[in-house]
Amino acid sequence: MSLKRITKELNDLGRDPPTSCSAGPVGDDLYHWQASIMGPPDSPYAGGVFFLSIHFPTDYPFKPPKISFTTKIYHPNINANGNICLDILKDQWSPALTISKVLLSICSLLTDANPDDPLVPEIAHIYKTDRSKYEATAKEWTKKYAV
Amino acid sequence: MEIDGNTLLLVFVFLFILYSNPSGDGVTSQYEYNQLQTLKAQYEQEHMQFSNLSSNHNFRNITGLKLSYGDVLQEPKINATYPIEGKDYDHWFANQNYTLLPESVEYEIKHSVWKTGHNVYPPNVTSTLRGQVKRSHDEEFVVVPMPIPEYYKPAQDLLQNRPSFAEPYDSELGDYQGSRNITFLEGEIVVEILSADTISGLYERETRFQNTQSDRWRFLHLNIHFSDYSENEKHAIRSKAIYDIQNGRILAFSESAKFHSLFALPHYMNLKNEDEATYNQVKTLVEEYWNATDFINTRSMAYLQNSYAVASTSCEFLAFLQLDPWSDFSQEQIRTIDKELTWPLGRSANLSSLPPVNISSGLIYSPDCGVRLQMKNVTGLRYELQVRKMRNLLLLGAVLLASQIYLLLRQMQHTNTPSLVNKISYWSFSLMNLVDGVLAIIFFVMTNSFAALYQPLIVCSFACLILASVFEMRYMISVYASQVNERNVSIFTLLRRNTDGDERPTPTVIPDEASISSSLYRSYVFKMLFSMIAILSVATWPRDLRAPVECLGIFVLSSYWVPQIVRNAVKGNMPRRTETESPTGTSLPQRQSKPPLLWTFVIGTSIIRFLPVAYVYSVPPNIFYHHQDRRFVAVVAAWLFIQIALLYSQDVFGGRWFLPNYTIPDGYKYHKAISSGELLEHGSSENHTIDCAICMNDVAVYVEDIAETHKVDQQSYMVTPCGHIFHTNCLENWMSYKLQCPVCRAPLPPL
Repeated sequence: MSLKRITKELNDLGRDPPTSCSAGPVGDDLYHWQASIMGPPDSPYAGGVFFLSIHFPTDYPFKPPKISFTTKIYHPNINANGNICLDILKDQWSPALTISKVLLSICSLLTDANPDDPLVPEIAHIYKTDRSKYEATAKEWTKKYAV
Repeated sequence: MEIDGNTLLLVFVFLFILYSNPSGDGVTSQYEYNQLQTLKAQYEQEHMQFSNLSSNHNFRNITGLKLSYGDVLQEPKINATYPIEGKDYDHWFANQNYTLLPESVEYEIKHSVWKTGHNVYPPNVTSTLRGQVKRSHDEEFVVVPMPIPEYYKPAQDLLQNRPSFAEPYDSELGDYQGSRNITFLEGEIVVEILSADTISGLYERETRFQNTQSDRWRFLHLNIHFSDYSENEKHAIRSKAIYDIQNGRILAFSESAKFHSLFALPHYMNLKNEDEATYNQVKTLVEEYWNATDFINTRSMAYLQNSYAVASTSCEFLAFLQLDPWSDFSQEQIRTIDKELTWPLGRSANLSSLPPVNISSGLIYSPDCGVRLQMKNVTGLRYELQVRKMRNLLLLGAVLLASQIYLLLRQMQHTNTPSLVNKISYWSFSLMNLVDGVLAIIFFVMTNSFAALYQPLIVCSFACLILASVFEMRYMISVYASQVNERNVSIFTLLRRNTDGDERPTPTVIPDEASISSSLYRSYVFKMLFSMIAILSVATWPRDLRAPVECLGIFVLSSYWVPQIVRNAVKGNMPRRTETESPTGTSLPQRQSKPPLLWTFVIGTSIIRFLPVAYVYSVPPNIFYHHQDRRFVAVVAAWLFIQIALLYSQDVFGGRWFLPNYTIPDGYKYHKAISSGELLEHGSSENHTIDCAICMNDVAVYVEDIAETHKVDQQSYMVTPCGHIFHTNCLENWMSYKLQCPVCRAPLPPL
């Protein structure tokens, strides 16, 4: 059942690709994908391309896929290992969600961070107290790692 | 919180208040200092007199012993002064002209209470004895006035600097009979015998008090409590006592501001023997005690005030007890037994067949209340044996708790899908949780009063705590979380489960587990607090009121399956052995509805929680000395049996078999036909199919107005209350993880 669903999603992605995101399997293993997100234009990440790795569990879509950033990014809800703190990837997962919808959520997370539930408290603190400094550092990292 | 100057100042002030209490003697004013000095001087003087006494000298000036019964009999209004004209102070005989005891009492002591004989008595009698006490009201005794010296009284006004010492005494206390006399005829008595072999000297240094004649005489502390059967009137005596090991006699005198009884012990011990040797031996014992405790220097303000309080609120008592001999043992054996009990090393002492400590006859007389009490059937086990019994019971209790934890874990494993968890009743487990939490607190508090049983008590307390606040709370949180969408719905709606036209308020924010768990823990703490306060206050009520409340409480707390029965009826569980036939004849895999509660859990838990109740109420020599009530045990057992039988019947006949027909609705039907309007809403394709959001394939649906779709099996797809359609397999699979619509997150009624 999971294989069928993953294949279907792949086909849908090919037929109707979303803007600013793309995803596809790494090699022959359909349970391991790689995705890329373009930094949203209205965010300090603009101009950068961020790569993510996606692992599907065997009981997909009843369990959420494991998604993590492989590109370093300066964000309150993404830590140095690339783990993402996003509710739909944990307890708010629903089988009606697809990879394209999840990637879109991650894009909006980049634009609007959630500093009240941070994965990296230091960055969240800077985000709340000194927004311009946060944006400067984010831009710097984007330039350094994601271009 | 930032540490700044204000906080530091507050901390400093707080610590200053805490530590600047009066140390040492506890004296806080010049008046109190003078009081304490007067007391010490008085004791010094009395002690000097005491050391010069011999067995046939009178007490003279010692507080409380100035008058004898004979004096009062002659002249009832006499004042307690020294010296009295015409009284003989150079001799002392054991009759009522010299002692506080009336003749009849003295006769009784010499002939029926204290017995002679060559018997073997155990030297160590530390134990708690219980029995009955009877007041003899056939004889009227004249009250011997025992006034309190003036210097004991607190200051009358702020300017007073020096307590008055001389006579006349404070006669305002007047009517003794009123407030503290013993008015009941029959009651219960508890005698606690403690051995005075560790003494706290000055500055709380504990020294061992070894008297040189410990084979013959022992110094004891006796705490006697007696009350009437309905516990309306309670009295307590804290006394120092002498134990005559050769004859098995105990003499106990209460002590207070009006009765410096320590000095009277040798004379009264000598009542029956009337020989010089006995008197000298007991006098030596008292002297040794005096020196070992450094009596004069350890008198503090607290002692003075306490003496005064006791003197003004209760009578003085003289107790004469005779123990039963342990005639089956020799001296040597008794010594081995003693050693084995204090330091168990496995010596060959047959500890399980030790006889109890038995008071064969006992008499308590109060000179200033004029009352005589007789004890009967006062018996108990040696303290060490008692401790062993309690320890075994506590270990058994710990085993029961461990098995309860195991059963709970099995139960949690059994309900591993949200649908099953939904069927569990939250209140059933809440009731059990309350009992376990309160037990944990009770065990912990008991470690203070029973230091010897610290380890088993703390093990039991820990087990209860783990059971209540980790496992049961965890389970309750998951049960509560799965039923969170039913919170605002009345029970009738739940019963009827109307889904057409009824606006079910879909919560926009479903509280997550973290907030549920914090609110549940908060309510748990408050429940514990209230229960502890309730229990503590009920424990002080007199027996008439307490016993029915206790029975009611235990009955209510044994009804933990009732909420589950109610919930089964509300949910309308299908009986276990039904087979539903699908309309088209093709058989789909039947889901066997599992009963929410595992049967081993139900029976095991009922037994575990019933055993303590059965023990306390039906086994006679139980350690709580609780009154027996076998009828109540049978009632509780029958009630539990009824509950389990009802649960079983619900399992076999279905959750609602005892409810009348009109309350039984149909459950929410997931498999139904849809109208073509709905079909359009969901954007169907030409084949009249809808996309299943879970597997993203097409779902063929049965549409009422389109004839071609009538061949579609209605069992193959499910329609949620919010109108979304999925394959049966897909949605059932998802519902074993969460009861939430994948598309709109609306709560789903369980299968």
